[in-house]
Amino acid sequence: MKYLDIAMDAAKSMGADYADIRIQKSTTETIYLHNLSLKNTSTDITEGYGIRVFKDGAWGFAHSNIFKDDQVKATVKRAMDIALLSAKAKKGAGLTLAAERSYIASYRTPVKCDPFNLPLKEKVDLMLEVNRMMMNYEGIKQTVFYLLAHKDEKLFASTLGTRLDITTQFINPMITATAVMDGDSQSRTFDEGGRATGWEWINELNLTEKAKQIAEEAIIKVKADTLKEEKPRTLILDPNHLGLTMHESVGHPTELDRVLGWEADYAGISFATPEKLGNYKYGSDIVNFVGDNTLCEGLATAGFDDDGVPNQRWFIIKDGILNEYGSTRDTAPQIGLVHSRGCSRATNYYNQPINRIPNLYLLPGTKELTPGQLIADTDDGVYIQGRGSFSIDQHRVNFQFGGDFFWEIKNGKLHRPLKKVLYKSCNPEFWNSCDAICDERYWQPFGVVNCGKGQPNQTGRMTHGASPARFRNIRVGGSQ
Amino acid sequence: MNAKYEKIVEYVKKHVKADDYNLRIAARNSHETRFAQNAITQHIAGENIDIDIEVAFENKTGRCSINQTDENALADMIKRAEEMAVVNQPDPEYVESASAQSIPQVKNTLDSTINLAPEQMVDIVIKSIANGDKQAATVSGMTEKHYMEIINSTKNGFQGHYDLSEFGHSMTLKKDQIETKVSFSSKDFNTFQLDKEIAHLNEQLASLSNPQAFDAEKIPVILRPAALMEFYWFMMWMMNRRQSDEGMTAFTDQIGKKFLGEKFSLQSTFTIPELISVPYSWDSVVSEETYWVRNGVVETMPTPRYWAKMKNLKPASPFNVYVPGGSASEEEMMKMVPRGLIVNRFWYIRPVDMKKGELTGMTRDGVLYFEDGKVKHAVNNLRFNEIPHDTTRRILTMGESILCDSSVKMPTVLVDDFNFVDKTTF
Repeated sequence: MKYLDIAMDAAKSMGADYADIRIQKSTTETIYLHNLSLKNTSTDITEGYGIRVFKDGAWGFAHSNIFKDDQVKATVKRAMDIALLSAKAKKGAGLTLAAERSYIASYRTPVKCDPFNLPLKEKVDLMLEVNRMMMNYEGIKQTVFYLLAHKDEKLFASTLGTRLDITTQFINPMITATAVMDGDSQSRTFDEGGRATGWEWINELNLTEKAKQIAEEAIIKVKADTLKEEKPRTLILDPNHLGLTMHESVGHPTELDRVLGWEADYAGISFATPEKLGNYKYGSDIVNFVGDNTLCEGLATAGFDDDGVPNQRWFIIKDGILNEYGSTRDTAPQIGLVHSRGCSRATNYYNQPINRIPNLYLLPGTKELTPGQLIADTDDGVYIQGRGSFSIDQHRVNFQFGGDFFWEIKNGKLHRPLKKVLYKSCNPEFWNSCDAICDERYWQPFGVVNCGKGQPNQTGRMTHGASPARFRNIRVGGSQ
Repeated sequence: MNAKYEKIVEYVKKHVKADDYNLRIAARNSHETRFAQNAITQHIAGENIDIDIEVAFENKTGRCSINQTDENALADMIKRAEEMAVVNQPDPEYVESASAQSIPQVKNTLDSTINLAPEQMVDIVIKSIANGDKQAATVSGMTEKHYMEIINSTKNGFQGHYDLSEFGHSMTLKKDQIETKVSFSSKDFNTFQLDKEIAHLNEQLASLSNPQAFDAEKIPVILRPAALMEFYWFMMWMMNRRQSDEGMTAFTDQIGKKFLGEKFSLQSTFTIPELISVPYSWDSVVSEETYWVRNGVVETMPTPRYWAKMKNLKPASPFNVYVPGGSASEEEMMKMVPRGLIVNRFWYIRPVDMKKGELTGMTRDGVLYFEDGKVKHAVNNLRFNEIPHDTTRRILTMGESILCDSSVKMPTVLVDDFNFVDKTTF
């Protein structure tokens, strides 16, 4: 597209030290079914371009939705003017950018059946069938099926000479049944958090069967007992639950911009500071976390990030020790790194890219271990499935998490269902209490499509993953 | 209304074939300067527009939104929405679009904010950083200005247009292990006083020196307005008429009853000029002077148009938030209880139990311990598990309400037996 060249030529002629343009069209199809009422059936299309200019150690970013030669040039000029203003408030010589070469490449999320090409009726019929099935259960008062399909088509050019053509997409079905009974109300949700794939995944999921399970478990849950007293217990966490736990307690603390304090005013900072690299016991010896933006069906997998840095795979925690961060071209040099790990991503064309969590997952255990064996090996504990209430402090140390479904474990067996279970723990206590992880046969991915960060706020996406894992001596109890 | 938006409204009016439509246009012009660790790290400027149309053939609906304004794009938007509606399933809860109504006239836009130049904004950042340097501390924050125009136009004759301006400046100061924050947000830049904000920030920083360990317990707490705003925002979110009527929230069957504390009222109001008051909602519900809670009695709850029609109620939507305060100073509050804590802000509040209305969250940006009517020292951050509507019954006294966001005015309150359950290790 000619605007790539117009923008880069303009940036060079204005004396930019570095510049890039990201032309982005984002298309979102949302179908929101509340009981049998289609509250929202929509297609949202946002297209425009964001131009970054780096000058004298500072950034300027301007965006526009008007595709005209003069407007592109004016937007470059605006970004340059802003960069010069930014340079008035820099520290020392200002920022530097990690070394990078140029690339000419393309990437496309592998999709067999594009949900955007599927007739609406097929999608809505499935959703109505699912909600009808759940509403047939006595006690189910509310059902929700939320289906989201999203596509980003990006063209990227930089003054390094890079030219990228990237199309990524994902789909996310979410089903909730709410039971109201005996003065209480409890929900159960099926939500794998989205996956970078097509409708073929929906076909594999067998959502009508999932709907029965969700409705039945909502009713079991509303009638279940609570755990009153908080005391140290053993926890077994399923991959879906662990996805959110690792997102909050490992993903965010190892974003280098937080480590540097760049998020201090809003999202917060990190306890995992650079002097801890290579020596901090973040978890037990069996805890290995990998950042992997090459992960198949990963939500952050895009070939390249929005700095034009190729996707990579690296250890963030290795054998329990803090190994490395997720970084960008402007954060990496701040701690002496030569190269970025390619974690710079923007949500929309009008967002300046920020340092994001990569696809991040817990490696499975290396010894053969099934979830059944793990439960059988646990005398007294709680098994948590799915995600619920979650809250963590701004340094990413102290946290309290709930879940979506709970079983009390007694003498190696699932003893009784529970509700309103909460556990409290902190870093590094939590990951150091991990004493067993099931093997790779039980590893499952879990997507996050609503990671809020930045000012102005952006909604990022990434995939996590784990096999069921056990944690000892965690404070577990019921809500008030 | 800007001619460019009028043209869109007219185009849609002329070309929609559906039985009904609801057009919304939201145009925004923003400049955002973000700084951290005593330097600007991000700096963003640009304009956006969101053109959104919802159409209906009988009770089958479709929606499409775009951000391009040319006629081809508008034609494509209408086509997509109409095609979607034609093949969609009927919506048993469909409500036809709003009809013509009298819309309150509110002045939400100030030239002082619109005319603020990027150079002035950077100057504010530079002065904020200079204060950080002077305090041997790091400062991070955001200086932003926005101008928005919102247009609603429906087939049934609702025609609404309003605009608003907003200026915001926040500063988080970090010195060693101490972090504290002030923030300002208003429709009128002229009411912003950087020196006052800096003095307030420095005062908070000084008060937080030498923090001591404090274990979680139930204890009286003075919640400053920014903390209260976060906390009661979630309560407001849970006050949903339909969900309550269907038995899913703590507010079920509480309309007309004294469910909250007598000292507590919650309003959306046009009577306070400094608050942004949007004249109608996204769904074309015209704003009206509303007491959600008056002296502890739940008078109404936010009610969507469908539920209002079903239950023969008036639709209602919050258009700003005002909690009337009292006259007690923090010094007077500290004398009312033997000991307690003062909380600047909360952070990461999430629901724990929707039916009970229970929330969890952390303190942030400074907690002070007081005893015998005086502040003794700062303490570590704490986690709470609490039920906001229940805390209104434990309000002992209230201070003066102040602007804590461009559309929120809250007081400082003294609440008895606030349930802290855990503490941070930093």
